[in-house]
Amino acid sequence: MESLTLAWPLAQQAFDPSNLPLVTGSPIDGHFSKAMLLVILVGAVAYWCLQRGVVRSKPLAIAGASLFGLACVMAFSAIPKPTTFPEDNSFSDYLEPVVKMCFCLLAAGGGLGFIVAREPVHAALGFATCVLSTCGILFMQHAYFIAAATMIVYAGATIIIFLFVLMFAQQTKLRIYDVELTRPAVAAFIATALLITITYSVSDEGEILPTKMDLTRSRSLAAIADNPESELPPVSQPGMRKEESAKFVPSKTSGLGRAMYTDYLLAIELAGTVLLVATIGAIALAQKPEEGVS
Amino acid sequence: MLKTLINELVEKWPELWPILAAIAVILAVVPFLGLYMTFIERKLAAYVQDRVGPNRVGPFGLLQAVADGLKIFLKEQIIPDHVYTVLYFLAPTLSLMTAMFALVVMPFGPVPTNYTGGFRFIVAPGIDIGILMMIAISSLSAYGIIVGGWASNNKYSMYGAIRSCAQFISYEIPLGLSIIGVIAVAGSLNIEHIVDAQSKSIWDWNIFWQPLALLIFFTSALAETNRLPFDLPECEQELVGGFHTEYSGIKFVLFFLAEYTHIVTVSFLTALLFFGGWSCPGIPSPSTPEGASLTYMLLGLLVLVLKVSCVVALIMLLRWALPRFRFDQLMGLAWKGLIPLALVNLIGVAIVLSLDLPKHLLVVTAVLPVIAAYYSATQFNASMAKLNSERSVLSKSRAMSYE
Repeated sequence: MESLTLAWPLAQQAFDPSNLPLVTGSPIDGHFSKAMLLVILVGAVAYWCLQRGVVRSKPLAIAGASLFGLACVMAFSAIPKPTTFPEDNSFSDYLEPVVKMCFCLLAAGGGLGFIVAREPVHAALGFATCVLSTCGILFMQHAYFIAAATMIVYAGATIIIFLFVLMFAQQTKLRIYDVELTRPAVAAFIATALLITITYSVSDEGEILPTKMDLTRSRSLAAIADNPESELPPVSQPGMRKEESAKFVPSKTSGLGRAMYTDYLLAIELAGTVLLVATIGAIALAQKPEEGVS
Repeated sequence: MLKTLINELVEKWPELWPILAAIAVILAVVPFLGLYMTFIERKLAAYVQDRVGPNRVGPFGLLQAVADGLKIFLKEQIIPDHVYTVLYFLAPTLSLMTAMFALVVMPFGPVPTNYTGGFRFIVAPGIDIGILMMIAISSLSAYGIIVGGWASNNKYSMYGAIRSCAQFISYEIPLGLSIIGVIAVAGSLNIEHIVDAQSKSIWDWNIFWQPLALLIFFTSALAETNRLPFDLPECEQELVGGFHTEYSGIKFVLFFLAEYTHIVTVSFLTALLFFGGWSCPGIPSPSTPEGASLTYMLLGLLVLVLKVSCVVALIMLLRWALPRFRFDQLMGLAWKGLIPLALVNLIGVAIVLSLDLPKHLLVVTAVLPVIAAYYSATQFNASMAKLNSERSVLSKSRAMSYE
């Protein structure tokens, strides 16, 4: 469900004729995020009904499925339709949204397959499809580095899921605890909270805080965006809106690297520390037990 | 609608045809190469084992590959009834698809860094993340093997799949770590730029200041191709055929073609990243005006192909020179040997770069594997000696108790 709903903002972007070929793409307007809020809420109720209905009663499951359908229809109608294309529009203007839409549908389908597949291997394959389609969308947005990194980290790491599936998953038929979640209400609540957060963070609400991106430092992200050699800060204000700041996002991988180790150094170091701690923990866990300890 | 399409195609044709031509070259050359690499491999094997090798079909046996290809195409399609049909058919295609897809960002001839119109020896020039993209795609190539192994529903295939899984995950790390030094000095992930950085003189070739990185890269890349010292996923003596036990005819050929495509990719990468690619003393770089002429382009292509064929021959001869690893040795080599060495190399590169020292100081790293080998040998001997003494004590005490 998560990936299904995540794909819609991208789908909406695909049909937006004015979107920029930038790393961030064009921001989504406030109207859309309000419509999405309703869709997410209906989807949460639908999920709860479906999850309860599968084990308890058939009518509840049917109601959940139809609510899901309703949420899908609402999401579709919330997507702003492209204004009429002029007659002399080139073919690639049609082609790009179509390909992007295909990737979105594949991502949504893969995510759905990941959740509903009975066979663990099919679920792993669904996850891989979802991740790879997302990489496709990122490639179409010219976000090459993120796409390649996603491919290595997620699609590559899905192989480990495969390993676990091949080694540990039971090949016998499903038990009741494979079908029924213990607390569907809590799951629905968490998913809703996450989705609302994501929708709001990608939609065009509010301004960038001055602390988030220091545009006055000469070596920061914004300064090297247009002219890599320039030491002068760009003409911009700390409180500017997101679509204005989008043009300061570097399009080159070297710019991304520089931004990561200047503006986002603290975040990078924190992530590195967390990973180091996890590695040490893994090594500690993997040690052989002492003699005499079972 | 159709008229718009045609107009669009005519309009975009100047930028479209080089890409289509490059794709056509790859699609035409790769199967042919796969066919003839089996022939070369058999000839080399015969040379190593002091035999003649295939010599009956055509002059010098050159048509043997064609005959083999025809035979295997006309074979009966056998689908065992215990397989998961959809995934069983998907796996070989997936395998070949990922292998071919990695060639998209790989230059197979001299490519100038300042692109103009016309034919170029690469499908997607100027991709900013070239080498990263290749690693990303090669990490997907395990899918074909795993899906095939699982869909075969056979315990040997499954073992092969699980082994390849573990092998891919482990060797991806040293593979990525080893080339960071090369990338850091070239200042780009783009393969054309990396080659361009080596083109000034022969001493700028990365092998002359990153020998350790070359060793690590080549070893891990060999592990990714599932070639002999690392062919645990398909070793005949233990697993019948490994992941392709249940495959025959054209489906088997697809797996095989994928393996040979991997060898070609690895050889190209080794030549491009460490042996200067198409650069050679006497041939100006294609980025300069005089180097962009057709003659120098063709000479550059010849140089690259020569370097690549040397690497291919080395890979094929290694098959008959080295015995297969045991699985724990395979894992130990990656995690205890290659990754620490790659990290040391990386630290060395970082020191040299940040202190502005001449990069050729890093040649010293070439002695590191020798030291590591000596250290691990002494460790091994010590542990064996300890084990033996414990054993002898144990057997003595047992002998006492029997009395």
